[in-house]
Formats: sequence, C-alpha cells, structure tokens
Amino acid sequence: MNTRKKKQGYWLTLLPLYLFTIVFVGAPLVYVVVLSFLQRAETWGVTGQFTLQNYRQIFQPVYLQTFVDSLKLAFLSTALITLIGYPFGYFMAKLSPKGKKRMTLALMIPFWTNSLIRLYGWIIIFRANGPLDQLLIALRIVDQPLKLLYTYPAVVVGMVYALLQFMIFAVYSSAEKMDWSLVEAARDLGASPITAFFTVTLKQTLPGLLSGIILTFIPSMGLFFIADILGGNKVVLVGSLIQDQLVKAHNTPFAAALAVVLMLMTTLLIALYRKIAGGKELEGLV
Amino acid sequence: MKKLLAFALAGSMAATLFTGCSSAASQPESKGELNLFTWMGMFPDEVLKGFEEETGITVNYSNFDTDETMLQKLIQAEGGSYDLIIADDYIIQTAIEQGLVAELDKSKLSNLGNVNPIYQGQFFDPEDAYTVPYGAGVQTIVYDPNTVNVEINGYADLWDAALQDNLAIIGNYRVINGMALKVMGESYNTTDVATIQAAGEKLLELAPNIRLIKDENLQDDLLSGEVGAAVMYTSQVTLAKLANPDLKVVFPEEGIGLGIMAQFIPAKAPNADAAYQFIDYILQPEIAKQCFEHLGYYCTNQAADELIEEEYREFLTLPEGFSADATEMIAPISAEAEEAHVQVWTEFKNACGQ
Amino acid sequence: MKRKKIRPSHLFLALVLALMYLPILLLVIYSFNESKISSVWGGFSLKWYQQLLADEKMFEALANSILLGISSSVCAAIIGTLGAFGMSKVQSRANTAVEYLATLPIMIPEIILAMVFLAFFSLLGLPFGMTTLILGHTAFCIPYIFMLVKARLVGMDPSLTEAAKDLGASEVRVFFDITLPLITPAIASGMVLSFAMSFDDVLISLFVTGVNVNTLPILVYTQIKTGVTPEINALCTLMLAATLLLVLVSAWLGREKQHSIETKGE
Repeated sequence: MNTRKKKQGYWLTLLPLYLFTIVFVGAPLVYVVVLSFLQRAETWGVTGQFTLQNYRQIFQPVYLQTFVDSLKLAFLSTALITLIGYPFGYFMAKLSPKGKKRMTLALMIPFWTNSLIRLYGWIIIFRANGPLDQLLIALRIVDQPLKLLYTYPAVVVGMVYALLQFMIFAVYSSAEKMDWSLVEAARDLGASPITAFFTVTLKQTLPGLLSGIILTFIPSMGLFFIADILGGNKVVLVGSLIQDQLVKAHNTPFAAALAVVLMLMTTLLIALYRKIAGGKELEGLV
Repeated sequence: MKKLLAFALAGSMAATLFTGCSSAASQPESKGELNLFTWMGMFPDEVLKGFEEETGITVNYSNFDTDETMLQKLIQAEGGSYDLIIADDYIIQTAIEQGLVAELDKSKLSNLGNVNPIYQGQFFDPEDAYTVPYGAGVQTIVYDPNTVNVEINGYADLWDAALQDNLAIIGNYRVINGMALKVMGESYNTTDVATIQAAGEKLLELAPNIRLIKDENLQDDLLSGEVGAAVMYTSQVTLAKLANPDLKVVFPEEGIGLGIMAQFIPAKAPNADAAYQFIDYILQPEIAKQCFEHLGYYCTNQAADELIEEEYREFLTLPEGFSADATEMIAPISAEAEEAHVQVWTEFKNACGQ
Repeated sequence: MKRKKIRPSHLFLALVLALMYLPILLLVIYSFNESKISSVWGGFSLKWYQQLLADEKMFEALANSILLGISSSVCAAIIGTLGAFGMSKVQSRANTAVEYLATLPIMIPEIILAMVFLAFFSLLGLPFGMTTLILGHTAFCIPYIFMLVKARLVGMDPSLTEAAKDLGASEVRVFFDITLPLITPAIASGMVLSFAMSFDDVLISLFVTGVNVNTLPILVYTQIKTGVTPEINALCTLMLAATLLLVLVSAWLGREKQHSIETKGE
C-alpha cells in the first residue's frame, strides 16, 4: 500500500468534521463578527452602516466590571471543579471494570433531569429554614438561618454542580489508559508517592485535565442562568449581559461585539494556559 | 457562496441519512389547522379541546420564551407559518411597523363588543385595527404585613431601610427603572437620557433592599418567606394571593403601569379563518371566564367580569373606582434612551450583588 | 480476588456522588408535594402525577427530546471521532484552525448561536423542525466528543497499531479492531455528555424548531408567563425511575456475559 493512498484515506475521515465545522460554525462566526461592526437600527435589527461604537462601548466601566466578575467566577469554579473532579476521575479509573461501568451510569443519571429542576433542588437546600439551615442549627454550628440562597457561595456551588461531570469524564478517559507500571517503576526507584504523582501520573493525565479545564472554564463564562437562579440575578455575567442586550434592549450589534470579545478572551486564556501547562506532547490539543 | 450552500446541503443531507428521520418538519396545510404561537400554559386544556370539538380544527400549540424570540421567528417566516400569535403590547407595535401583522376583518368577530374599552385604543394599536386584547397586567406591589413592619402605599416606600435584603423584583428593567422614574414624578417613556441616569442614581439607593431579581415563579419566594415584599407579574400576584390571602396588594400611588397581551394574525397566516374562529370563540363570556381564571391576568372581557368566581374576582377585575387616567403603558423608546436604561440596569444589578 | 477493604478513595467517590444526588433526591420528594410552591412542603399528594399522565403534549415532547438527543449525539460521535482520529494521523496546518472552530460552539454564548442558526437555516431554505434541530444540536455536541476522543488518542501506544499493520491488517481493519475499542470509553463519555447537553438545551431548540415540534425544555421554559408547575418534577422522577429500571434490567441481562469477560480479564 502506498503512503499517498493512506494519507487520502485519513483525509477522508477528516472530511465530515471539516465540512460540518466550516458550514455550521465558521459561517455563523463570520456573521457574528460582521454584525459586531454594524450599527443598530432604532427599534429592531441593524443598519448596514460600519461602526466601531459597539467595541468602544465595552470599555465603559460598568461593562468592564462585568467581564472581571465573569472571569473571577469562572476561575473560582474551575479551580474548585479541578480540586474535586480530578481526584474523582483518577480514583474512578482505578475501580474494577464493573465499578467503572456503574460509576459512569451513576454520573449519567442526574443528567436525565432538567437542569433547571436540578437547581430547584439546591434552592430547597439553601432556602431559609431549609434542610441545610436546620442541620447547621441542630449541630449548633450557627444559631439562626443563614440566608444562603441568592448569595455568591450558592452560585459557586451551582456552577461546580453543573460542570463537575465534564472534568470527571475528561480526567477519567485519560487516566483510564494510563500506564500504571510507570508509577510502580518510579516508586520502586524510591520516589515518594507525591513525587511519583507529579512526575508520572500528572504528566500522563495532563491531556485529560486540560480538556477538562477547557470543557468547564469555557461554559462557566456563559452559564449565567445559574447565577440568575441561585444568585438571585445579582451577579452580572457577560452571558446575562449579552442576553439582556439581545432580548431586552434589542441591541444585536453590541451583543455580537460582547460575544466576540468573550471568545477572544477565552481563546487567549486557553492559549496562555496551554503554554504554561503544556509540554511538547500536548501539541495539537485544542 | 454557492459552494458553501452546496456544502451545507450535503451536510444536512448527510445528517438526515445518519439519523434516518427528519419527517416531522413540515406538515400539509389543511383547512382544519390552527398554528397558535404563544407562551406555554396560556389556555386551559378544556378551552382548547372545546374549540377543537366545536370546529373540527386541530390546534398546533407552539411556544416561545420571550417576545423577542417570537418576533425573530416571525421575521424569518416573513409573517407566515403561524396563524395566531399572542404577545406583549410593545413587541406588537414593532411587528406592525415591520408589516408582519394582518389588519383585522371585524365582520368575522361577532363577539368583539365584549372587550373592555379600557384595554383598547392603546399606543400599540390606537385604532384597534390589528389586535384583540387577551390578558392584562397591572403593576402592583405585594407584601406580607406579618413580616414587613412598614406600611407600603407606593413605590417610594420600597426604599425604606426596614426592607433591607427583603425585596424581590422581576427582571424587566423598564418596569424596575420605571419605579424610580415614577418616584421622581417622571413618565415611564421619557427619552431624556439625563432623567434616566438620575433615576439610575435613585435606583442605586434601592440596591441594599434587593434580595433577588427573578422572572419565573417569583411568588414562591414571597410565599416561602424568603422575602417580605415583591414587585411581580400579575399572574404571580394572583397565585400568591390565592395561596396566602393575608398578603397585601398595593396599587402604587405614584401611578400604575399597565401591560396588555394581545392577539394578532400574522400578515401571511396560512389559516387566517381558523384564527378568526378562535378569537371569536374565546371572546364568548363563558369561555373567557375559564381562560382568565386559568391565566391569572386581568380580564379584558367585560362581559365575563360578572361570571368570574368570587375567589378570583379581586385579582382578575379592576377595583371599584379604578381610573384609566392613572395608568401608563410602557412603550418602545429611542435607541439612545433604551441604551441608557440598560446601562442603569446593569449598574443597579452590580450594586445589588455587592 | 475481591478485597472488601474500604479505601479513602472510595469514601471520596461516595461522598461526591452523594452530594450530586442530594438535589435529585429532593426533587423526587417534592414531586409528591401537594403545594404548588416549589420549595415549601404542603403534604403528600399524587396530583402532579395525575396531571402529568393526562398531558399528552408532555410525552410527545419527551419523545422528541429523546429522539433529538440520540440523533445528535450519534451524528456528533461519528463526525467528532472520525475527525479526532484523522487529525492524529494527518499533520496539517488546517487542522489547528478547524479544531479551534469545532470547539467554538461551546465558547459562543448559546443565544448568539441560536439567532445565527435561525438566520442561517432560513437562508438555506431548510424547513424548520427535527432536521434543523438535529443540525443545531450536532454542532454543539461535536466539541464534547472531539475533545474527549482526542485526549484519549494523544500518547496512545502506537506500537499496537504498528504491530497489527506489520501483520498485514488493512488500515480499516486496524481502526475497527484496535483503535476503536481503545477509544470507545471516550466516545461513550462524550455521547453521554452530548445527549445530556442536547436533552437540556432550550435556546437553540426554541429558535430552530418548527411549528409543531416541541422538546421538553421548550415546554418547561416557555411557562415563564404563567408559572412552572411541579408537573415537571413528576416527569423527571418518572424518567429517573425508567432509567434506573433500564439500568437494572440491562445489568441483570448482561450479568452472565460480564462475568465471563471479567474472569477472562483477570
């Protein structure tokens, strides 16, 4: 078999992704970028006029603040998700085959419920005089209801809850194919468990961790409905700002500009992260 | 571009092949159908079923979440696809301006006389040429006198420090910014940016009292005691009062905001006749009574007013001596003023989170 | 072979899992709540179940949601897996760009994507309905599959596939016999996530659906004007029960097979 023919075969496998992506993601993206340079019409839609006003508007302090707040929440959530999800995925990969299967199912089942409804579950927990308050009062940790609902910590819990699975699955799928003999070898050579973890395990699971971070960090920039529902809409995120602009103010171009900046920002952050975290073996991962 | 289109078509065909099912897309347009497009839960099942039985027309009920989604879809459908739409006043004005709404043939509506004139001739359709009102909302304040120690008579009382962290509001910035405007004695629809900004300053002082901003099921938080007072939608007020009759409903002394959901027929409705039949059907007092008791908004059908059961009457009909002059509707304003509103609103929400 | 020792790692897994199920448990309990208020207990009642069972639209929407979730996660699995595989074989500068683009749908706020899809599909003249729903959902499902498969393919032991090729296996055979089994867990996880994302999506669905195709989230989220009722809690509970039943039955049916595989593996 000659190499050229082989190459062609591989290109063929790439074709669906290329086609789909260019048509259904590339083209819409161009549309958004174009929109962001247009002027809004008085009541609805856009005029064909070119303007930079939409980008200028982002630099008003109130909107800059929104970007800062979104970043803060995204970093905090991603950090917590990593702290919980990484060990979870890692331990999960160490389970017996049967255990792995069961765990995958157990992780999947919560998804079968509507996310809004799942958040209602947290509302019940956090409600004034709700189960959590009663527990804490019974344990004499606090002496009056905490009013946890509609606060920042409630939002963070909601974010972690909504995105944890992404990290778990990503870490798990890369830990699962890990070569455990390398860890043993390192231990045999006298490395402490911690050294062995950082030199061998972490390195091998890095691709999964990285995908996990991307799969959680990016959506956490846009998942404003959690902030709305558990935070009482008092934490303004870029996502809700875009929603407000589109749905309430009918300012499509400004919303498009906000979206473009958001995309650029996440792209930049992820590139930066890749540079810091990534060795050569990570090349090509997103 | 042509190539792009070809790719797209190839892609979509491939997707169809992969799944082998994509049939539900378009249905034959027979005379026996009504494509109704509105929020979920606007009619009781009995009314829809009753209409289907009486006329033999099948009702296809599709839903949108916000008025803006509706307009986007109607624009893309070029005023077709849907036969009857129920949406909020301000968006209908835009839809009419865009030429997406058909002028009504009133000869086909024998029960039109039942409509309460208070809700007619409003800004979005001054000649009543395009729309028939359905539910109406009246801006009120609801509070629990058992947990709130101040007496609330108007918007200005919401600024009272006694309400700290105890007030819930809906997420409609024209309504909420409008409270500050009303306290200042201004109109909801002022286009003066300086006035709107001044209202924004005033609103910032309200921030410490805000516990939450939410659109759906806000009455739950009032009923569960999470907050003591709330500014919310009329249907929520009705639900709250039904569950807890002790709650007090206040018509703010500064002036009353009015909102109307109205029915209209799109310009190229495929089954316009079915739409007329439906409008006329629900205009019958007996049917309207069922609709409004289900919906929980103010009844716009004056012939139905007296049929409404005692337990609902207080929330569905306007109080004795209600003056239409004291009301003002929120109308679309200039882009510049709208922008000032959004900025004020964003600043306000930021301040609430501090 | 089995050791019944409880390890700290197992405790950790159990604790996190318990926290994950806590809200679900409350949701199940509150589906039997007499009160319409979602967070206040008003006594035991089956009325939401009665209402739900009388609601044909809800079940129609459920069927649509399941169909849509399966179709779009299958489409995404095929496109995403082939793409990730191809990229691991062919070095090209275009790959970087396409990879970036392919993951964009989870970067763009959903509402923007929804509006663009609406405009774009009308431009193409596609009839709005299941087809457009599947296309839209496939677009945001691909990133999940692509990234998970990719993470698994990175650094996979190349000696296996090389050995097979040395023994004369064709490229296609090698893919199906060696590579595919190795990346199956990643594809499965990706499909689970995709299905969940699709099953839960509201904005894109709202914009690209047609006159008479409703999905479950559409029904739930468009109740804003009139209030979301606990009927949906009852539906979620029934779905959970059905899932559990399905899982138990398949576990019971697969018991023999599983057993033989496990003993072989040990």
